[in-house]
Amino acid sequence: MTETEKLLASCLSEIEKCDSLKKIEAIKNVIFGKNGKITQVMDKLRGLDQEDKRKLGAEINSVKNEITRQLNLKYSRLELKELNKKLGSEFVDVSAPARPRSFGKIHPLTKVSEEIADILSYYGFVCADGPDLENEYYNFTALNMPDHHPARTMHDTFYINTPSDEKGRHLLRTHTSPVQIHSMLANTPPYRFFSIGRVYRSDSDATHTPMFTQVEGIMVEKNVGFAHLKWLITNFLKKFFAAKDLSIRLRPSFFPFTEPSAEVDLNYEVKNGEMAFGRGDKWLEVCGCGVVHPNVLRYGNVDPEKYQGIAFGFGVERLTSLKYGVPDLREYFESGDRWKSTFGFHHVS
Amino acid sequence: MRFSFNWLKRHLATDLGIHQIADRLTSIGLEVESILDPEEIFKNFKLVQVETVEKHPDADRLNVCGIKDARGQKARIVCGAKNVRVGLKTILAMPGAVIPSSHEVLKKSKIRGIESEGMMCSPAELAISSDKGAIIELDNEVDLATSVGEVLGYGGGIIDVSVTPNRGDCLSVRGIARDLAAAGAGDFISSDAKPFKDSFKFPLEVEYERSGSCSQYAPIIAFRVIRNLKNGRSPQWIKSFLQSAGANSVSAVVDMANWWMMDSGRPLHIYDLKKIKGHLSVRFAKHREKFVDLKNVEHHLHQDMLIAADAESTLCVLGIMGGAKVACDENTTDILIESAVFDPIFISRTGTLLNLTSDSRAMFERGIDEASCVPGIEGITRLILDNCGGEASKIFVAGREPQQKQAVTLRKEKLLSICGYDVDWASAKAALKKLGLREIKSSVAEATYAVPRWRSDINIEEDLVEEILRITGYDSVPVKRMEDVFVGHDKILHERKRLTEASRLLASCGLSEAITYSFTKESYAEVFLEDGKPIYLINPISADLNVMRPSLLPNLLLAAKRSLNYGQAGVKIFEIGNVFYDSCAQERRIAGLRAGSAHDRNWLQNSRSVDTFDIKADIFALLDFFGVKLKNIAIEPVAPPYYHPSRSGSILLRKKKLGHFGELHPKINKLFGISESLVCFELQAAALLDHKGEKTPYAPKVFPKIVRDFAFVFKSKVAVGNIVNALYKLDPLICEVDIFDYFKLDDAQNSIGVSVTLEAVDRTLTEDDAKGVSEKILKYIKTVGGELRAK
Repeated sequence: MTETEKLLASCLSEIEKCDSLKKIEAIKNVIFGKNGKITQVMDKLRGLDQEDKRKLGAEINSVKNEITRQLNLKYSRLELKELNKKLGSEFVDVSAPARPRSFGKIHPLTKVSEEIADILSYYGFVCADGPDLENEYYNFTALNMPDHHPARTMHDTFYINTPSDEKGRHLLRTHTSPVQIHSMLANTPPYRFFSIGRVYRSDSDATHTPMFTQVEGIMVEKNVGFAHLKWLITNFLKKFFAAKDLSIRLRPSFFPFTEPSAEVDLNYEVKNGEMAFGRGDKWLEVCGCGVVHPNVLRYGNVDPEKYQGIAFGFGVERLTSLKYGVPDLREYFESGDRWKSTFGFHHVS
Repeated sequence: MRFSFNWLKRHLATDLGIHQIADRLTSIGLEVESILDPEEIFKNFKLVQVETVEKHPDADRLNVCGIKDARGQKARIVCGAKNVRVGLKTILAMPGAVIPSSHEVLKKSKIRGIESEGMMCSPAELAISSDKGAIIELDNEVDLATSVGEVLGYGGGIIDVSVTPNRGDCLSVRGIARDLAAAGAGDFISSDAKPFKDSFKFPLEVEYERSGSCSQYAPIIAFRVIRNLKNGRSPQWIKSFLQSAGANSVSAVVDMANWWMMDSGRPLHIYDLKKIKGHLSVRFAKHREKFVDLKNVEHHLHQDMLIAADAESTLCVLGIMGGAKVACDENTTDILIESAVFDPIFISRTGTLLNLTSDSRAMFERGIDEASCVPGIEGITRLILDNCGGEASKIFVAGREPQQKQAVTLRKEKLLSICGYDVDWASAKAALKKLGLREIKSSVAEATYAVPRWRSDINIEEDLVEEILRITGYDSVPVKRMEDVFVGHDKILHERKRLTEASRLLASCGLSEAITYSFTKESYAEVFLEDGKPIYLINPISADLNVMRPSLLPNLLLAAKRSLNYGQAGVKIFEIGNVFYDSCAQERRIAGLRAGSAHDRNWLQNSRSVDTFDIKADIFALLDFFGVKLKNIAIEPVAPPYYHPSRSGSILLRKKKLGHFGELHPKINKLFGISESLVCFELQAAALLDHKGEKTPYAPKVFPKIVRDFAFVFKSKVAVGNIVNALYKLDPLICEVDIFDYFKLDDAQNSIGVSVTLEAVDRTLTEDDAKGVSEKILKYIKTVGGELRAK
């Protein structure tokens, strides 16, 4: 073993023995200090000739580098060890609950109204709005329900104390159809409109609330008839329920504002408590629709010999209940927490 | 409209079963609401006769009865009905029977120690009437082997059809049969009454104003007298049919008139002739003329109602309801039959004014067969004479049968355009023919039809198209793709979407969306009304919902209360919706409410109640969403009186009122019975939707910011928000002002810590810049009564 090899071995063994950051300084002194191991070997250079001096010098240098590297390595190891020892005392119980952050829920009717609006907008319908407070003219007369028409009494109308005027008594709209008239009067055909809003009937039991939500659509064009209506309703429902096999049944009915009129039933069956659409022998009414009555077109300032219209209406609560399984109608307007946490929608949904 | 299948089969020869008929009815627009199948309903029921009746040894009011059925099988039944007696024929529910009124399954049970092997039923238990005092008494002639369904009039099952208001003709079994036949569900059996030989002159003097409004509203009215009849009980077949329709049996004559009406759709009224004093007049009522109806309810009539009266009083409000005075009873021997045509709207108005409903009104207001006036009298005469005897007078007719309606022309082109597809012209015409429409003339392009008298609903071309589609079947209509149209900018939809996004934002702030009624309680409306007067409902469904809400807050408070009562520690809700005031003002608002605990109890934070600054944070989240810059906002410490007077404020957007927020007044807690803290806000949605925020041009920010902190003391009351706003405007270098500390030093002095951040877009700021701004700040603070706090 050469001198330098001996030197390296003895220094490394010193480093090896070191077990704390404090001792590192002492070891540095033992190795590199005035009387340190390296100095001692360096002293030996003095008596050597040029060639040996250069050779030994180079050897010592490489030993020095190696020792420094090992020292730094040791230093960081010890440093980490001591830090970890300290961190160990900073223990937190990661199983403890997080700091609470609460989010609200979106009402199912808002979510479903948005879904409906998106589909109708896709089919070219423009959104329209009308007042909840209406009068007999727009709610009945202009929709081909003249005074004392038996259909008026079927509407269980809420009247308000605003004094009557030339448009008749004031009332809470019993359907969104008055929006049709407002929109027709404000525009020239061809056009397609829809409207979503609250409507009111003085009726209250498990299946009726005095307020509910309707969506209504009308299109007036040169070339649109019953067959187009059937296409539109079928496609709307397929899109809404995301069910390509959905099947519907149109059945004749009566609305004063359409002729011919139809009610639309959805085909379904109940399987393991879940509704499955498009099969089985059960039918559920979801929509009323028809070809717009010529009198309504006239009230809307449209010439029935030039244009024709189709119109439809859905109950939004009914669609919501069917799609998302919300049971009791009354709970829609109670805002109960348990109801919301079950049927409400995630705030970013 | 309810009727039994057997009744229908009197008018329709068909091979179809009840369920197939029901499907067919629904498909032609006569929606079947339910089918009652007696085989199902009356499984485990049978007819029995009581053989023995003995007192129950342990109960005074109970009897132990021995009964037997058609096959002689006996059983012991404990029965509490008073009318139980030996020989009585009645209906027995056996163990396993489902009792129609309660839907419960009957079990064998011991009643006071004695086992009862079934139950003898009351009409109420079988859900056929509300009569629950006694058990059913069947006619003695009834054969015990008859099925229960048969005796209860369920002959072949009961069909309940919902008839739309346009189809007056289908308020009768005959009308329904006719429609079914047109749709190919069988053959219509016509049953025209044979001409009848009258035996004496019409004996009464009748006054009827031939000209003027009387003949306008009642164009024709006919009478006949029948004398010397015997008004006993109706034959069983009539009783059964009436039962199937849900009508009670009264007496033979009354039952026959009812049956005739439901069978043929021709309303008739029958007066007890001997109760009519003097001559008969058909006239308008006098102002507030008194009338006592069949149910003994007194009415005061209007001058525009048509009545039949004798020399003394009102006998009948024509077309609506007869009076108690001339009602037939078991002693009636002579009757007057009235048959007429009335104007539908006239009848509807009279009925609405008197708040009276009747089958007759329903038929007249929907429109009846105008040619049925005299044939109707002939038909019922035959029925009465056959069953009750007597002789009939000549028929007295006042007025004239209304003219045949105008013919309706159908253009082929219009048919195709309404249908939207290529309808076969020949089959369209065939469908109309099946419905009894008579072709008057026709060409390649159009056909003109005479409409049968019973179809008062067919008046225009469109009505013919509906009939064609109805009879050929909506199922056969193909689907036709609509033309694609693309919507450009849709302002209203855009606003809807903005508000839905705002809802999501509020939900991410922790508030849940509520949708509450548009009406509320009057006492709440009064408190929350800001401007004008509340709007009242004239006919509310309850006193708690009798006024339109002038604010979203009261119904949110009720919703919060429900959740708090239910044990929720903190409630956070919002609603976007309309409020109403001042006769017809309608305004969309956004309101939020936080109540009780600010956050769920947890181990990291101390529990605290919600405060004004929680709700203010919600508002500022909204303002940020709608692009409102802080500099456009002002807060003023005034709010409506339902707020805490010193913990609430108004918020102004570009100097216009946007809404208010803060803690609610303790009187509101009291009014709603809520003890928890309540903070809320309510803003006008329109102001936010219409707000046009200005865009700041983009400049990359690369130069370091300088932050300076100040601690000020104010000797007077301060509005720190105003100071922040003012500081923003002080120097263009100021990019951020934060309040990091705000507390009371003593009663008079407030200490406020302000952190001001400076930034320039084009250079690195120097110490001199900072110094200059600091001096400006100090100078400004002095003007509002503050100074630097001594160290």
